[in-house]
Amino acid sequence: MIKLQNVCKSYYLGEEEVKAVCNATLEIKAKEYVSILGTSGSGKSTLMYLIGLLEQPTSGKIFLDDQDVSKLSDEELSHIRNRTVGFVFQSFNLINRFTVLENVLLPTHYLKGQLDFDPRKRAEDLLEKFGILERKHFFPNKISGGQQQRVAMVRALIMNPKIILADEPTGNLDSKTGSEILDLMEGLNKDFGVTVVLVTHEKAVARRTRRQIYIKDGLIVDKY
Amino acid sequence: MQNGVIHLIKTAFSDFKRNKIRTFLTSLGIMIGVLSVVMLLALGLGLKNYLKQQFEDLGTNLLMVIPGSGFGGGGSLGQGFTSLAGSIRFDDRDYRSLKRLSTARYVVPGHIESMTLEAGGTTKTASVQGVSEDFDEVFNLEVISGEFFDSSDVASSAKVCVIAEDLSKDLFGDVESAIGKTVHAKSLRVRVVGVVKNMGDPEQDNSIMVPYTTTYLTLNPDKEFLAFYIGVSNEEMIKESIEEIEEVLLKRYEEDEFEVIEPSKFLDAFSQILNAVNAVLIAIGSISLIVGGIGIMNIMYATVTERTKEVGIRRAIGATEKNILIQFLVESTILSLLGGLAGLSIAGLIVILVSQFFPLEINILAVSLSLGIPCLIGITFGVFPAKKAANLTPIEAIRSK
Ligand SMILES: Nc1ncnc2c1ncn2[C@@H]1O[C@H](COP(=O)(O)OP(=O)(O)O)[C@@H](O)[C@H]1O
Ligand SMILES: [Mg+2]
Repeated sequence: MIKLQNVCKSYYLGEEEVKAVCNATLEIKAKEYVSILGTSGSGKSTLMYLIGLLEQPTSGKIFLDDQDVSKLSDEELSHIRNRTVGFVFQSFNLINRFTVLENVLLPTHYLKGQLDFDPRKRAEDLLEKFGILERKHFFPNKISGGQQQRVAMVRALIMNPKIILADEPTGNLDSKTGSEILDLMEGLNKDFGVTVVLVTHEKAVARRTRRQIYIKDGLIVDKY
Repeated sequence: MQNGVIHLIKTAFSDFKRNKIRTFLTSLGIMIGVLSVVMLLALGLGLKNYLKQQFEDLGTNLLMVIPGSGFGGGGSLGQGFTSLAGSIRFDDRDYRSLKRLSTARYVVPGHIESMTLEAGGTTKTASVQGVSEDFDEVFNLEVISGEFFDSSDVASSAKVCVIAEDLSKDLFGDVESAIGKTVHAKSLRVRVVGVVKNMGDPEQDNSIMVPYTTTYLTLNPDKEFLAFYIGVSNEEMIKESIEEIEEVLLKRYEEDEFEVIEPSKFLDAFSQILNAVNAVLIAIGSISLIVGGIGIMNIMYATVTERTKEVGIRRAIGATEKNILIQFLVESTILSLLGGLAGLSIAGLIVILVSQFFPLEINILAVSLSLGIPCLIGITFGVFPAKKAANLTPIEAIRSK
């Protein structure tokens, strides 16, 4: 589904070049459950943003369903992120002045064209499935971390994406809550066939996925 | 799409709700700007309507003939007559020829003189006007007590007078008790037969009107007139009437020895001056709108910085650069519009309160300006901060604290 070919991403701190990701070649197939494992600062997040089309590579090519992504406009890229990709972050990244329900509905406002579902109903169904429906009118800072991450997952799922990209989704949670989130991720992949890419620095977490991609100092390596 | 618009407005208001004081202070600048501009517009419009009313009271088919000033100027009603020493005086011959005008319904001669009047021990400097019985018709004077003298009084040089409301109060204390009393004007003694309502012209409101024939006896032995007041049959004939008057008088006088004045013409001149003054005042008032706009720009930059993370989140879930741009533009525009609405409401309130004393008025133009200009300001001054937000790279935004 998504292919990276010799992809590099560099940041510049003044004159100094920081190679966050270097020469990455990989493929993520539809319905895969895969993790990206690496230490802090190894370039995992950067790699994930490249896969999610949130970032353009400095060099190399990214293909989405065999289409060269570098040719796409901001409008087209945004549309793909809206329809096809769902992001989940370590720090939840909910908007605090909106309620749970409003946060979950946020992606529906950015769809160009007609929604093929009733947003409100779908949001409530998903919230129900994730056990947080009764919190729908709460503001994010009034619910627990585990609940916030569930809301973030519902927001990622609302547009019925093909792929979920989760950047250390358990990083801010205790191990029990984190494990529940991972169960939900696994369920998404198993029961609904959503492609899930899980970014983590914990071997134990990575071990739960069917395939691991190791990254070290920006380079993809065979062994961790 | 419609859903998107609602969401944008909701987004703006949810931010205002969290920053009530900041929102209030930011829109205050626009509020004051709109308030001052609307008030100035209302004042200008009110003054104009007031003037128009005054001139309409005077009658739109009134013409005045006065001795020429030699430099083409003119005055309202009695103004400036005393400064016409050396110029011609009209006489009974002119009166007779003007009375034959086909376009005039009324022709009233006017002799006017200022002097000390005495009545029942009270004295007052006032004007004595020697006029004919149609004077009240020509100037739309309302007789509030007694009656205006008639043609037989003129024919018999009756020693009667009609007194203006203000003067009757000065001399007799009130309107009712004036009737039947005697007024001394130099050696002339006249009996009050009527009181006319104030006209708003200080000279007219401080005068007595006597038959012009009566002035011949003592005050006006030379039988001269300082003016003729001509009531044209109807408004459409004004031009024609002016030509006819000029034709008649040119037989006897030089072109610059007399002048035909159309008082309603002054309205246009006044209006023009008023418009110019108003425009300058409004331009000055607009400066506060620009200052308000800068305040909005300032706050919008702060808002963008504060919400960098949110921009990143929105970009991740599918917002385009344009979506972000519009989001912040909508916010700055609503902020500005809130100020405009507040300014307009306060202006409306002031106008309602003040209009009892002074004829202020708000029209469609003022309303649309006070809503349109804030929109323009919100967009103009919001576009730079909004551009800044839209141009944030999604990653930097999402990685920000
Ligand atoms: N905007 C940036 N400017 C400069 N360096 C950056 C920037 N973003 C990330 N980096 C650097 O790139 C490297 C990889 O970062 P990141 O992908 O966040 O790693 P990880 O998610 O594995 O911790 C780090 O060394 C980090 O300091
Ligand atoms: Mg990271």
